[in-house]
Amino acid sequence: MNAATYTGALELAAGAVLVSAVMTLWRRQVRTIVTMLSLQGISLAAVALILAAHEHDGALALTGLLVLIVKGVIVPGLLRRIARLDPRSRETTPLVNVPASLVFAAVLIVLSYVVSARVTSVAPSVATRMVPIGVATVLVGYFMLVTRRRAVSKVVGLILVDNGIALVTFLLTSGVPLIVELGSSLDVLLVVVVLQFLVINMGEQLRRSELDQMKELHD
Amino acid sequence: MTLLLVGLGFCLLGVLTSALPRTYRVPVTASCAALGCALAFCAAMRVLVTGDTVSFHTTLILPLNGFAMTLDPLGALFIVATALVGFASCVYCIGYVRGELQSRSAMGLFVAFILSLLAVPAASSIATLMLFWELMAVSSMLLIVVEHRHRREARDAALWYGVMTQLGAASILLGLLLLTLRGGGQTFTEIKSHADALSPIVRSSAFMLVLLGFASKAGAVPLHVWLPKAHPEAPSPVSAMMSSSMVAMGVYGIIRVGDDLLHGGTVWWWIAVVALGTLSALYGALHATTSTDIKRLLAYSTIDILGLVLIGVGAAGALRDTGHPAVAQLALMAALLLVVAHAGFKGALFLGAGAVERATGTRDLDQLGGLIHRMPVTTTIFALSACSIMAVPTLSGFSSEWLLLQGLLHGFTDASTPTLIALLVGIVALALTGGLTAVAFVKALGIGFLGQARTLGAVNATEVAPTMQIAMALLGAVSIVLGLVPGLVVPLINRAAQSGLSRSTMSPLARGTGLVLAQLRGAIQPAFLFVGAAAVLVAVWLINRRLVHRSARRVDAWGCGRDVQTARMQYTATSFGEPLQRVFADVLRPQSDVELTHVAESRYYEQSLKYQNQVSDAVEQFGYRPVIDAVLRGGKAARRIQNGSIHRYLAFGFVALLVVLVVLA
Repeated sequence: MNAATYTGALELAAGAVLVSAVMTLWRRQVRTIVTMLSLQGISLAAVALILAAHEHDGALALTGLLVLIVKGVIVPGLLRRIARLDPRSRETTPLVNVPASLVFAAVLIVLSYVVSARVTSVAPSVATRMVPIGVATVLVGYFMLVTRRRAVSKVVGLILVDNGIALVTFLLTSGVPLIVELGSSLDVLLVVVVLQFLVINMGEQLRRSELDQMKELHD
Repeated sequence: MTLLLVGLGFCLLGVLTSALPRTYRVPVTASCAALGCALAFCAAMRVLVTGDTVSFHTTLILPLNGFAMTLDPLGALFIVATALVGFASCVYCIGYVRGELQSRSAMGLFVAFILSLLAVPAASSIATLMLFWELMAVSSMLLIVVEHRHRREARDAALWYGVMTQLGAASILLGLLLLTLRGGGQTFTEIKSHADALSPIVRSSAFMLVLLGFASKAGAVPLHVWLPKAHPEAPSPVSAMMSSSMVAMGVYGIIRVGDDLLHGGTVWWWIAVVALGTLSALYGALHATTSTDIKRLLAYSTIDILGLVLIGVGAAGALRDTGHPAVAQLALMAALLLVVAHAGFKGALFLGAGAVERATGTRDLDQLGGLIHRMPVTTTIFALSACSIMAVPTLSGFSSEWLLLQGLLHGFTDASTPTLIALLVGIVALALTGGLTAVAFVKALGIGFLGQARTLGAVNATEVAPTMQIAMALLGAVSIVLGLVPGLVVPLINRAAQSGLSRSTMSPLARGTGLVLAQLRGAIQPAFLFVGAAAVLVAVWLINRRLVHRSARRVDAWGCGRDVQTARMQYTATSFGEPLQRVFADVLRPQSDVELTHVAESRYYEQSLKYQNQVSDAVEQFGYRPVIDAVLRGGKAARRIQNGSIHRYLAFGFVALLVVLVVLA
């Protein structure tokens, strides 16, 4: 792989991660959001694989495959099943409406570029130049976690945060040891499984899956 | 050391046997603990007699530095005092325990409490000390709430105690950790060897932190607020342990850290200790005179006596580097003797108060009276111990306070001006508290035990179980022994004081049965005094019989011309303390209410008269209340951001993250 192809491919894949994150803010249909998440998982795996090919790192390639399977296939699959429990589920009234969310996402992206400038300046390279994209994904994910009402959207936000962190680690350190990535991926899987039970229970008890209905934490 | 460890082992066994079925639980558990106390007593006595220091170290029990115990004469003295009261309390328990205290957890905690008290003076590393210190705090706090179903005050008391003791423990821990800054090691030997290398500021702040914690345990005003709440609410054997042993641990800590680990430090530390002691002695004595609850009265008198002990400890510290080191040792010996004497008489008094409460169902002096006819043994021992605390000659209170006075008086020669002032103030406090204590205990004895019974409970009282009587008599005997032949224990106290003052080799008292100052003027022989007084009494009695020849005639007491006399005409505890309450109204801040309703026909005749008198703790009201209220207000304000919405909680995190990022950028 020559340098120009490598740079282009990496930019494309990392960009896809951020774009899919912003798309989750844009779309209301929960199933579409899950599709975006799947797309992001695949892009993330692509980043890992491109880095692995560039640096001839077998372990990183293995990590990339693991990410592809867990975040690209299994987690979105499970979420899709949850979404299917409530077929017309839409993020009808997010706490911040869609246009405002998109503007805010733009602000967050600018902020992350400002913040990451220092990190990039320490070791300028093709990979570290894209660190702001990872930070922006984290912030957009967190924003989604805060402003969306449906349980599934909240978990998608959480996974966005996780994906953003994973992207930053790939770009900065060429991947963490496999065991760490395995651990964090399994965590995400567990969260999704827990969510499944939660949504089923909420559906039975409240007839809807908006977390607004739960104020039991009070007192 | 083995003996002490076996003793502690028996206590541990006692904790386990508290799981036995109800029928055997109390006797077996109490016997185990009593045996443990007896063994610990022997171990400590051996160290005191031989003067050897023994130690034990294992890495098995505590992580990092292991478990280190050292028994030196100073710690041994405190173990002796604790073991005495512990033994008596265990024996007392066998007859006393009933109701909630009988439960598995309560008995287990009681023995754990005794275990921790026996172990604290032997701990010789920070981790070991804090382990037992916390065990002591937690077990005693839980023992206070044993009877919380009947007494709501117990919950409040336990909360106060818990907060104060935890703050104290944190302060002690912080202070001790400061001492490890230079050497790094956390055993007392390491701290001692590196103590001189620390900067004066670190040493002083460490001592002040440690003093804060230990003084609050010793009930020093203004850190005493928990004591008059907690001691009365605990079951009586526990009160006895708390009041005679646990508070002494505060004194032990001050001597151990200030005199032993830090080799004395600077004079102003000790002047601060004298100031604390003076304040406590006066404040405690004053409140004791106005208390009508017998256990509350005893608790305040504990503050008073511990104040005197602190005066002695402070004087010893202030004098050790000036002119007369022998006088310093004398003052420390007086303080230590007073600790042991206090363990004896205050233990007996609390056990006696428990007996009264058990027999009559109340501890309000205004509802007692006439107990001398129904509970002669309890009354005798209570009277003996009360005389001892009032410093009646030939009893232990007198010999120890006399020694303290000698220590303070002889310190005048070449003392610096601040020390001189501290000593003078100490002497005045000693004199004034002597008088006030006498008022308080004349009241407790006269109103509670003499005269006529005021309520049905007091009328129907019967003498308590024999084991309880034995326990009280045992502690009463301590007062007599220490009072009549104080010379016998002088060598032991001397050893303890020597080891407290970093291995001094002086002995300021001559050998003998009495107390004779070796190089200074001053001597007292209580045994001779007793024989002389007894001879005079017998002579008077004989003369009376021979010369006056009049047989005794029994008549009713003079009733101011009224025929019928009722128990309600007697002086009450409230009225007895009222004049003093008036004199010291500025300090005590009593709240009195008189409510008068008239007969409808004429305003010249009253229908009913209601009088209410309450003395609350001024320090609590003006020092602690504002702080507590501010904390509560802060807590209420903070609650407003908690509305239960998950979105809001997530938003807090998000906003915090953004703020951090913006600040970084």
